[in-house]
Amino acid sequence: MVKAIPVVEMRNIKKSFGGVHALRGVDLVLHHNEVLGLVGDNAAGKSTLMKILSGAYIPDEGEIFIEGKKVHMVNSWDAHQQGIEMVYQDLALANNLDVAANVFMGREAVSVKLGPIGVMDEHYMEQETKRLLDRLKIDISSVRLKVESLSGGQRQAVAIARATAFNTKVTIMDEPTAALSVAAIKKVLDLVRELKEQGCSIIIISHRLEDIYQVSDRMMVLRHGRKVCDTPVTGDIDTFREHVVAYIVGARDDFAEGGNKQ
Amino acid sequence: MILRKEGISSKMARTSRHEVIFINDINKILRQNIREWGMYIALLVIMAFFTITTKGVFLSSRNIGNLINQTGYIAVLAVGMTLVIIISHIDLSVGYLSGFLGAVAATAMEFWHLPVYVSIALTLVIGIMAGFFSGFLVGQMKIPAFVATLAGWLGYRGALQLVTMSRGTIVITNDVFNAIGNGYIPDIPDIGILPGVHKVTLFLGILIILFFIVNAINNRRKMQSYNFKVLGMHLFIIKLIFGSALIGGMTWVLSGYKGLSWTAVIVLILVFVYNFIMSRTVLGRHIYAVGGNPEAAELNGISVKKITYMIFCSMGMLSALSGILFASRFKSATTTAGTLFELDAIAAAFVGGVSPSGGIGKVTGSIIGAFVMMSLTSGMNLMGIDISFQYVVRALVLVAAVVFDVTTRNRKKI
Repeated sequence: MVKAIPVVEMRNIKKSFGGVHALRGVDLVLHHNEVLGLVGDNAAGKSTLMKILSGAYIPDEGEIFIEGKKVHMVNSWDAHQQGIEMVYQDLALANNLDVAANVFMGREAVSVKLGPIGVMDEHYMEQETKRLLDRLKIDISSVRLKVESLSGGQRQAVAIARATAFNTKVTIMDEPTAALSVAAIKKVLDLVRELKEQGCSIIIISHRLEDIYQVSDRMMVLRHGRKVCDTPVTGDIDTFREHVVAYIVGARDDFAEGGNKQ
Repeated sequence: MILRKEGISSKMARTSRHEVIFINDINKILRQNIREWGMYIALLVIMAFFTITTKGVFLSSRNIGNLINQTGYIAVLAVGMTLVIIISHIDLSVGYLSGFLGAVAATAMEFWHLPVYVSIALTLVIGIMAGFFSGFLVGQMKIPAFVATLAGWLGYRGALQLVTMSRGTIVITNDVFNAIGNGYIPDIPDIGILPGVHKVTLFLGILIILFFIVNAINNRRKMQSYNFKVLGMHLFIIKLIFGSALIGGMTWVLSGYKGLSWTAVIVLILVFVYNFIMSRTVLGRHIYAVGGNPEAAELNGISVKKITYMIFCSMGMLSALSGILFASRFKSATTTAGTLFELDAIAAAFVGGVSPSGGIGKVTGSIIGAFVMMSLTSGMNLMGIDISFQYVVRALVLVAAVVFDVTTRNRKKI
């Protein structure tokens, strides 16, 4: 059987900040229509790794392949062009604008172009936003509502919807369930499932193992800038948690040798 | 008998029910749009108050005509300041920059003997360059706008005194230039109908009313076809009548004196262009996005730096225009031109509903704000109120406007 080309492959990524080695040669593979959970303690390097993938940082060493093609990204716009979108922890939405304006921020539809000045096609943007929210079963009464009037869960949903809206190949979510109520967390997780159903490839960074256990296909653990565990999500939550937490806190560190032998 | 009685009473009940729905509608609409309509109501109240206290002098054609010309140079600054405040910055340098550039225009015409249009173009270009420099300090060097433009305030004040040092006041003799601040649009010669009325102004007013009505009806139809909620028919008609009456009344008052001034024409064109850019174009959307969340804007490929440069350049150009209007109005450039303009412009923007925390505000609102502030000055002058009390009253109005902004916003969040 021919193995499918992974949508993202990162090989031997290294990154240091001054004397601090944030990443010491990490490999990452994400397959099509897969949800990958990325866990680890604080300063394990998971955010750094994702910032490299989303173009915010440039790695010191290592290669990135998107659908088998080697890419070189120097800013988040490059990553955007490659179809990689990151949903940030601090919700990169403008509260003073409505839902449609936020979804289309930075890529407004233009109806007439008068020299350097483009007149917006508001109708198109509103209809498209409505369609997008309906497709993802996000419950917001009007796309003309300002984001400041939405709840935390709704804002997170808008942020995720925006990230997945435009031919996105990979969506990266940084702590999507942090600072949300239990009901809102459930909605966000439902949204992740819905996205997977529709064929998206997703990487989720989280501290909350329980949350991403429910939606992830595979989980990868980073510790001190190294990959210490990469395992399919199986079994019941308790055994799985025990297994993964051992790697997170460093009680077990046998993955690297095992990986080499394979 | 009984049947008929019942018929009448049920009919009465129906009308009163209609009235209740109607009043509820008005209540609801007012509450939803209080932020937007608050300043229009304030302006009307202030105008009505001064009209009564001055026994109608305030609303006389002559006074309103002068009021518009006085508001012009502040209104122009307020338009630019709106954009600056929307992206959460401030520009304190615009007052003396405006004064300095007025003196530059005067010098260019009187001492360098440049043609008037060349002088105006030169002044506008220098204004854009000054704005570019502020943009460099704020956008590129990341210096807080307050500090960067405070340096500008000092520097341009010095520059103004340098330019006017030799003579104190530069008298401007060019008629074309002086017409900008004092002249009125020409009228068709008297043909017997409506003597003493400026017919071109009246005609323009009618055109604007027609445009307003057609535009409102089109918008309503468009909104309905997208299934958006629109005003009820009765409220919509009231809005049309109210708007038309306001424009019509203004036109009638103006055409009773000398008609539409060139200053008013310049301000109207400016407001139209800036309003269009801010509400309908990608550039305007990006400006609001930068004001709401600069990090988000940057992540989405909007260059905050570029927007900052553009807005300060526009502010510089409008400062130049304000300086030209002011110098033209007084037919001279003086050493104190532009003093406190920046504060008037900032106050006008806040009174006009621009939020001190950035991201929210409309150019049209700031123009209304400028009119509110200038109406206060004009009305209190007519009443003979001492200048020291005038400052206190204007301070109270400014505070009231910002308190209003904060409280209505908090209520919206709940």
